Amino acid sequence: MRTLRSVVSWFTPVIPESRVAVLRTVLYLFVIIDIHLFVRDPIPLSRHPELYQPLLLERLLRLPPPSVPLTVTLYLILMVGCLVAAANVLPRLAGGVVAAAFTWWTAIGMSYGKVDHDHLALIVALWVLPTVGVIADRWRSMERSAQAGWALRCIQISVIFTYFLSALTKIRSGGWSVTSWPESSILLWAIVRRPHGLGQFLVPYPELLHIMQWCSFTAELTAVIVLWLRGRALLAAAVFWMGFHVFTVAILYIHFAPTAICWLAFAPLERLGPWLRRVKARRRQRTGRRAAGHPVPVFRDHTVDSGG
Amino acid sequence: MGERVRGISVGSLAWRIAATVLGIGLLLNGSLRMSDDVWPFGPMSQYAFSPRSDTIIVITRVEGLLADGRRLDLPLRVETAGISRAEIEARIPEITANPSLLRSVADGWRSRHAAEPALLRVWLVQDQTRLVDGRIGPTRLVELASWELPS
Repeated sequence: MRTLRSVVSWFTPVIPESRVAVLRTVLYLFVIIDIHLFVRDPIPLSRHPELYQPLLLERLLRLPPPSVPLTVTLYLILMVGCLVAAANVLPRLAGGVVAAAFTWWTAIGMSYGKVDHDHLALIVALWVLPTVGVIADRWRSMERSAQAGWALRCIQISVIFTYFLSALTKIRSGGWSVTSWPESSILLWAIVRRPHGLGQFLVPYPELLHIMQWCSFTAELTAVIVLWLRGRALLAAAVFWMGFHVFTVAILYIHFAPTAICWLAFAPLERLGPWLRRVKARRRQRTGRRAAGHPVPVFRDHTVDSGG
Repeated sequence: MGERVRGISVGSLAWRIAATVLGIGLLLNGSLRMSDDVWPFGPMSQYAFSPRSDTIIVITRVEGLLADGRRLDLPLRVETAGISRAEIEARIPEITANPSLLRSVADGWRSRHAAEPALLRVWLVQDQTRLVDGRIGPTRLVELASWELPS
């Protein structure tokens, strides 16, 4: 019974709802960036119906083949839906619409031959964030809930599984061998094919590339541990993985921005609202003092944030 | 902060945990058994294969012949060609069987370079670089398909 209870509370920890409110704002605004910078090709791709190869998801749901009116409509729905949902207004309706529209949009982007794997965490996030429902007072919410905790846990799991599953796929594609990928010429192959980044300087050193492959493979395979880290250990893991993403951008121009942004599900975002209010209050006090022309007491950090 | 705790029913907890377990199951199944087709539950196959130390690294390009005799590289980016290199690479067998599929690249390029002379012919080519003992060896250019644009 105790085991069951601890399993349940691991999947559904009780967490401040303001964390979800802040994360909603960040992620829905990120979706707007995403459809312009990352999955930006559904509209131009929909002009080439001869190249369309629907994914299982599109076949199962019998989704119509992409056309320009369809993709432009999805684009408009996403723009409006994201702005509404980012404001934590109509979270279930706007959030649900964005989740469905962005999943379809991204699926279209992956239906012309190339499938990317950097969107898992973001898509999971968009489906689970609406389930928390209305958060009274949004960023200022004083409530905690298992509903919020479950949504965050799902996003955390999908971030970490993006790494862990890619290690599993490497083992599988190497004929169920742990050494074939780290000992292969994959990084050299990637650098030759993307000859833009700093990776050019590593081409003469294949041994160094093998060491880097071993490091990233080990990190991916052991990433699941992060789900049980707390405090400074968790911070160290987050810094490591952010460094990993900066590194792959530098040598290969490959970014995993949609995964990286979802690392925020691990962060104590509930502190952002009170911090912003403190900053604003301090500024108000400073300008107020100047206007009045005589000194007023300057309060320390804790004055405005009544919640502590 | 966050003193008040919102209640949650047993049913609410149950469907949430069931959904998580189902999701993890689908992801593991996708990674261990399925292909890209089951996106978003497919394997994380980007850069997940293991090229050998004597592999041939291929860069696929499209070249175009202009009416003024220039032969140039038509960049395979969404902004310039309306389609990306990866999308073309995934379609190589179809394109070699039916070179008129290169029309999408030609059309994309022409619509963005209206001031340039007419495009007469396009080629699907590859730069093939051979690795020798894990180091970069010689590169050769291979022509896979060509298509003359209807005038």
